[in-house]
Amino acid sequence: MALLDVRKLTKSYGETQALSDVSFQISKGEFVSVIGPSGSGKTTLIRCVNRLIEPSAGEIVFDGKEMTALRGPELRRERARIGMIFQHYNLVYRLTVIENVLHGRLGYKGAIKGVFSMYDEQEKRHALEILELLGLGELVYRRCDMLSGGQKQRVGIARALVQNPRIILCDEPISSLDPSSARIIMDYLLKIRTEMGITMVVNLHQIDVARKYSSRILGFNKGTLVFDGPSDQLSQQKIYEIYGAEAGELIND
Amino acid sequence: MSTVDYNRWTGKIAIRRLTTSQAWLYSVLVVLSSATVYGFLVLDTKGVGLIDAATRTIEYFGLMFGSPRGVPSHFGVFNDSTAALFLASFNLVLQTLSLAFLSTLLGGVIALVLGLFGAKNLTGPRTSNAIKGLMALIRAVPTVLWVLIFAIGAGLGAVAAVIGMSFHTIGYLLKAYSESFEEIDEGVIEALRASGASWLHIVSQAVLPSSITQILSWTFLRFEINFAVAVAMGAAAGAGGIGYNMFISAGYFFDIREIGFITYQILVIAILLEVVATRLKKRYRLAS
Ligand SMILES: Nc1ncnc2c1ncn2[C@@H]1O[C@H](COP(=O)(O)OP(=O)(O)O)[C@@H](O)[C@H]1O
Ligand SMILES: [Mg+2]
Repeated sequence: MALLDVRKLTKSYGETQALSDVSFQISKGEFVSVIGPSGSGKTTLIRCVNRLIEPSAGEIVFDGKEMTALRGPELRRERARIGMIFQHYNLVYRLTVIENVLHGRLGYKGAIKGVFSMYDEQEKRHALEILELLGLGELVYRRCDMLSGGQKQRVGIARALVQNPRIILCDEPISSLDPSSARIIMDYLLKIRTEMGITMVVNLHQIDVARKYSSRILGFNKGTLVFDGPSDQLSQQKIYEIYGAEAGELIND
Repeated sequence: MSTVDYNRWTGKIAIRRLTTSQAWLYSVLVVLSSATVYGFLVLDTKGVGLIDAATRTIEYFGLMFGSPRGVPSHFGVFNDSTAALFLASFNLVLQTLSLAFLSTLLGGVIALVLGLFGAKNLTGPRTSNAIKGLMALIRAVPTVLWVLIFAIGAGLGAVAAVIGMSFHTIGYLLKAYSESFEEIDEGVIEALRASGASWLHIVSQAVLPSSITQILSWTFLRFEINFAVAVAMGAAAGAGGIGYNMFISAGYFFDIREIGFITYQILVIAILLEVVATRLKKRYRLAS
C-alpha cells in the first residue's frame, strides 16, 4: 500500500487553478523530486498534504488516513508524523539550536508540557544524537541568529527528524544557499532517506539536482502533473513540456 | 458653436475658491481667535498690572526653584531632622511609583492576554478588528476620565485611580503588543503548525520568545507615562502619594518653596525614567 496517495487533488484561488486534478502515489522509502517553473503549484501541493492549505477537491490518503477529513487534535497527531523543511528555515532566531530542534516534539505534547518546555530526557537525548549526526554537536547552545544559512537549514532538518516522521516534505530547501552548502544539505537528505528509510518529497528549482538525488520526478506545469517517472526517463522533450519557454535557459546551465 | 457668456464673470475676479471644508476651518479659526482676544480683554486681573504680574511670576519661579524647602509637619514629620523629612517625602514618591507600577502591571498582564487575540496572525481578522476597535475607544477617553468614571463605584482614591489607569494602560499596551506579535515571521508560526503544535504551544514557544524585548520596552514606556499620570491623580483623584502633597501645598498652604521641593523630587524620577525609556526606544526602534 502506498504511503501517500493523492487522488484528483484540485486547489483553486478564485480564477487561478493552482492544482488541477493531480493524482499520484508515493511508496515508503522513495526520494521524489517535484519540479516545475515558478507558480506551477509545487508549494501548494506539499502544503495540501499536511493541510497548511485546504484543498478545494480531491483526497489525500497518508498512511491509510484520509487527511482532508481530519480536525483538531487528530489533525495535530497526523501532522506530527510529517516533517517539513522550508526555504527560509523558519526558526525562532532568539532561541538556541536545541530549543528549536525540540519544537519538533510539540506535536506529541499536551498543553502544559509544551508551553513550559518540559521535554523528557529521552527526547533531549534523541535531539542531541540527531544534532551530532548533522554535524551540529558543537553548536547545541548557540542562538540560531548566529548560524550560517547552511547551519540554519540543518537545524531545520533536525527539527523535522525529532518528530520521528514517516515522510519529510521539503519546499525548496536549497534555494537560499550557496552551492557548497546546498550540496551538503542534499547529501544529508539523501542519507536520511537511505539510512533511516524516511520518505522524501522535495520541491526543487534545479533539474540537475533533482536528477542526481531522486529516484523519481514529478513535473508540474500550471498546476497540472505533466511528468511522473524515474529520474533517468526525464527527456529533453519532457523538460520542454514542464518548463515551456524557460527550458532553454535551464538546460544551458 | 455655442455662444460664450462673458457676463458670467461680473464684479471682482477671485483667483481662489474656498472648498466647504476650508470655509469651515477658516470660520472656526476666526471664532476662536475672537474668543481669545475677548477673553483677555475681560480678564479679571484684580487690579494687578501686566508688568507687576510678570515680575511676580519670575520672582515666584525663583523662589520655587532657587530656595526649595519642605515644611516637616506637612509630611507628618515632627522634629528638625532633614533626613526624616527627606525620608518621609521619598516615601510619598515611592507611593506614587507604586500606583504607577500596579496599574502598569495589571494593565500589562490583561493587555498581553487580550493582545494575543488582537494580533491578526494569531486569530482571524474579525476577532482582531473587534478587539482593536474596542481598544481604540478605550484609548480615546483620557485616563483622568476613566479614573473619575471608576470613582463612581469605588469612590475617589487610590482604588479608582489604579483601575482607571490600568484601563487606559490596557488600551495602550494592547495595541503595542499585538502589533509586535503581527511583526513576527509568518513562516515560523507555520513551521510549528506543520509539526502539529497547538495554538498555545505556538504562542509560548515562538511568539513570546520572538517579541519579549519589544514587550518589555513598551511596558516600560507605559510605566513612565503612568508615573506622570499617578502624580496628577494624587492631586485630582485623591489617590495619595507625592501628587496629593503637591496639591495641598499649592491649594491649601500656598507654599511656593515647598512646591519647588516636591517638583525637584518628581523631576529626578521623571528624568531617570525618561533616560531609560529613550534608550529602549532607540534600541528597539519603537514608534510611539
Ligand atoms: N494564497 C494565494 N492566493 C492566491 N493565489 C495563490 C496563493 N498561493 C498561491 N497562489 C497561486 O497559485 C499558483 C501556484 O503557486 P505555488 O504553489 O506557490 O507555486 P510554486 O511553489 O510552484 O512556485 C500560482 O499561480 C500562485 O500565484
Ligand atoms: Mg514555491
